[in-house]
Amino acid sequence: MARRTIRLTVNGRAVSGEVEPRRSLADFLREDLDLTGTHVGCEHGVCGACTVLLEGEPVRSCLLFAAQLDGAEITTVEGLAPAGGGLHPVQEAFWERHALQCGFCTPGMLLTAVALLRRNPRPTEAEVRSELSGNLCMCTGYLNIISAVRLAAERLAGAAGAGGQGPGAGRQ
Amino acid sequence: MNPRPPTPDPRPRGESRKWVGQSMRRREDPRFLSGTARYVDDVKLSGMLHAAILRSPHAHARIVAVNAAAAAALPGVHAVLTGQDVRRLSSPTKPIIPIPIEPQNYCLAVDRVRFVGEPVAAVAAVDRATAEDALDRIDVTYELLEPVVDPEAALRPDAPLLYPDLGHNVVWHDTFAYGDVGGAFAAADLVLSERFTIHRYSSTPLETFGAVAHEDPGTGTITIWSNDGRPGLTSGTVAAALGVSQAQLHLIALDVGGGFGNKRRAAYLILAALLARRARRPVKFLEDRREHLMALMQAANGVMDVEAAVRRDGTVLALRVRDVVDEGNNQVNPTLHSLLKLGNIVNAYGIKAVGFEGTCVLTTKCPSGANRGIGKPFMCFAIERLMDRLAERLGTDPIAIRRKNLIPPEAFPYETPTGALYDSGDFGKTLDAALALAGYEDLCRQRDAARREGRCLGVGMALAVEPGTSNLSSYILTTGRRLTSGAGEAAMVRVEPDGRVRVATGNVGSGQSYETVIPQVVADELGVSPEAVTAAPGFDSFSHPWMFASGNYSNKFSGMDIGAIVGAARKVREKVLAIAGHVLEAPRESLELADGKVMVREDPRRSLTLAQVAEVAYKNLIALPGGSEPGLEARHYYLSPVATIPDAQRRIRAQLIFTNSAHVALVEVDPETGMVAIRKYVVVHDCGTELNPMVVEGLVHGSTVHGIGGTLLEEFVYNEQGQILTTSFMDYLKPTSLDVPDIDIGHLETPSPFTALGAKGVGEGGSIPAPACLASAVEDALRHLGVRVNDLPLTPRRVWELIQGARAVAPGPA
Repeated sequence: MARRTIRLTVNGRAVSGEVEPRRSLADFLREDLDLTGTHVGCEHGVCGACTVLLEGEPVRSCLLFAAQLDGAEITTVEGLAPAGGGLHPVQEAFWERHALQCGFCTPGMLLTAVALLRRNPRPTEAEVRSELSGNLCMCTGYLNIISAVRLAAERLAGAAGAGGQGPGAGRQ
Repeated sequence: MNPRPPTPDPRPRGESRKWVGQSMRRREDPRFLSGTARYVDDVKLSGMLHAAILRSPHAHARIVAVNAAAAAALPGVHAVLTGQDVRRLSSPTKPIIPIPIEPQNYCLAVDRVRFVGEPVAAVAAVDRATAEDALDRIDVTYELLEPVVDPEAALRPDAPLLYPDLGHNVVWHDTFAYGDVGGAFAAADLVLSERFTIHRYSSTPLETFGAVAHEDPGTGTITIWSNDGRPGLTSGTVAAALGVSQAQLHLIALDVGGGFGNKRRAAYLILAALLARRARRPVKFLEDRREHLMALMQAANGVMDVEAAVRRDGTVLALRVRDVVDEGNNQVNPTLHSLLKLGNIVNAYGIKAVGFEGTCVLTTKCPSGANRGIGKPFMCFAIERLMDRLAERLGTDPIAIRRKNLIPPEAFPYETPTGALYDSGDFGKTLDAALALAGYEDLCRQRDAARREGRCLGVGMALAVEPGTSNLSSYILTTGRRLTSGAGEAAMVRVEPDGRVRVATGNVGSGQSYETVIPQVVADELGVSPEAVTAAPGFDSFSHPWMFASGNYSNKFSGMDIGAIVGAARKVREKVLAIAGHVLEAPRESLELADGKVMVREDPRRSLTLAQVAEVAYKNLIALPGGSEPGLEARHYYLSPVATIPDAQRRIRAQLIFTNSAHVALVEVDPETGMVAIRKYVVVHDCGTELNPMVVEGLVHGSTVHGIGGTLLEEFVYNEQGQILTTSFMDYLKPTSLDVPDIDIGHLETPSPFTALGAKGVGEGGSIPAPACLASAVEDALRHLGVRVNDLPLTPRRVWELIQGARAVAPGPA
């Protein structure tokens, strides 16, 4: 199968690869770029473990072919923490609210939450539940995840409201 | 939420618990949050190949021929194995229970396939896609055989046989009688008789099962990274199959993305290792989701016919249970569900006599296996439904009937007729607390008001013992031989030369926060802060202590692992005190461990840091007290003091430590769609000492949602040909953030007298009573329509069918 060359930006860095047309974005990230933070849970677009941000919007990397992403800008969980160190407020909130147990759904949840809060900085609980409903978690029962996202929203809104940009608030 | 009562501390007076009981945030989180955790699929070895498995498309068939020549010829393919190959290259594995004949089980089917998805051939290639391409080139000729899908059909004399030599499909059948069952039924004022059924579902961890195998050509060591949660068992099985000693088999578990008991499959490790041997390169096998749903394991479905002998005042005098477990093609550990039902059958009640007839039958379906709760969700469903029915029959309310039968608090430790020794608990208090937290009377009023408006609201409840720690002695009942017995775990605590502490155990964590809780426990024992203690992530058979019982199952951590860890820590503690006493020239009784130091209590300036003690132990050996061994490390192999073997009356302590809980729910059923919405859900539970309340609460959420999902959404469906129809998350529905109610939790703490810190299990927890609670609520909501809930699941289709069924019997306005 003839390979294609792709050039894209992942977590702010320019990368390139030679991919078979059938190679999924998830496999390209995990195997060709060694970014194993993106996880594969179902390969049919239901569980959301493979969620990454494409131009800032959450997508299922298991349902995209790497070859489709030439010229694209991708953010994975490895790109969430601020360059200077520390954690993104969403990561921090997940930590505080015990929003992870086995951690397998966590990267997908974090990115989905980040995208949600950028689009809707003050979501209601119902909105958080709805936005996260495309990410399955088998461990936590979701309640702490919902709580963490709401905490992160408060903090990001607070930081923005105070006139400054909170850590990571200006990213993506 | 009720305030937590003070927890009695079994430790010596004067030394208090500083860290156990704190809701410390998790040490392990940074790597999971940043995407740097390592799961088995993240393992990459130089030259590593990827395996794919060709699976049977038929539920039951003879394998006539397998032709893999074209697959082997495909560029990029480095190894192909068929059933005939693995039969030559490996020894057969045996189940834990001696099925009446000894089937020869290999990691691939040899002569026959017995469920859709059974592995038939395997390929290792440069990538998974090429391996799957190769599968398309393997030609298998099958001769179709009659499938058998329903367990009661499999019991009939004319049933298709999975093992013709056996002559039937029954892998185990036995009857037990405890107490005067006949007398109780003869004396009964009332006999209640009900039939219950449960479906197949499972916890479906988000990470699927996998293994990476590598055989070192120089040393012959076979290293296998896998997320198998039962290394104590798997090691022996895999080593024997591969013809190597366990000293040559290096089993490693890294981070595991959820387990819930599901991740056990020695056959996949054996297969990966055989492919690696054949290809002379490391081989990775990772299930995909379809393979997981089809072929890893499913919680057994089955039937329970239950009769209760009752006195007119509501006292249940005896139970007679006929239990049929559909094991699918379980060749590994049949009877697991049966034993745990038998062992816990009286639930929270002082029922004095029990008759139990257990049958485990094979069908042409996915093997059954350990799943959160193993058998107890069904047991609790049956007993709790019985209680609700009894209340109805006697015209009393379901709370009163339960109170009448509860084991009273002064009776603990309480031995049930089947031999379970309930360590501690106050079931009445748990019930009271749940009713109060739920505002039970108010829920009933809401329900009544809604009914007047034509809405179907229902209030339900369930009480449960939530047993933890499986006693391996149970298998003596089913095998007739004492091959395994007891319960425990192994741990090592080591103070490194620089004074930091390292802990390793035989368990395999899969999200239960061991890396946080273990440091809390050891910090209290050694007088250091938790930050100074590191619990090794994962498992390593060459460097962690372990034994047959080692692994992740039955909530054993709080009792068994903690017993081993505390045991090891106390040995280290004694050694620290002995060395410090010698160096400081102070008697042992005058010393105290706190803040990372050993100090003379009356004169704290006379002290040594743990690092200074370690320096003596590791470097300055002549300074050690006479006759002392260098080093500052201890291992403790812990055996539960209450793990006995079955007695002459066949009484057995199938499980050893007993959490208890009460669940209350308010649901609304839409009669047009059958959808059940949970309006309120309350849990009060008592797991003894809470080692880390934040972790406990997370496990209660998660386990309860497993029970909710398993009841309202999830179902593995097979058609009459044995074809599984639910092989993706589009067909097998998991709860999402939209499906889970807020769960209000109340905590009680009645410590166990049988565990080192009084802690009881909490991992399985909510998955046990939730189905019973929801069934109770749904029946209440639809009672006026004449609906009876004796069967699970309660998916929208099933609820809708119940409503239609009831309307057909009693047409007229609802």
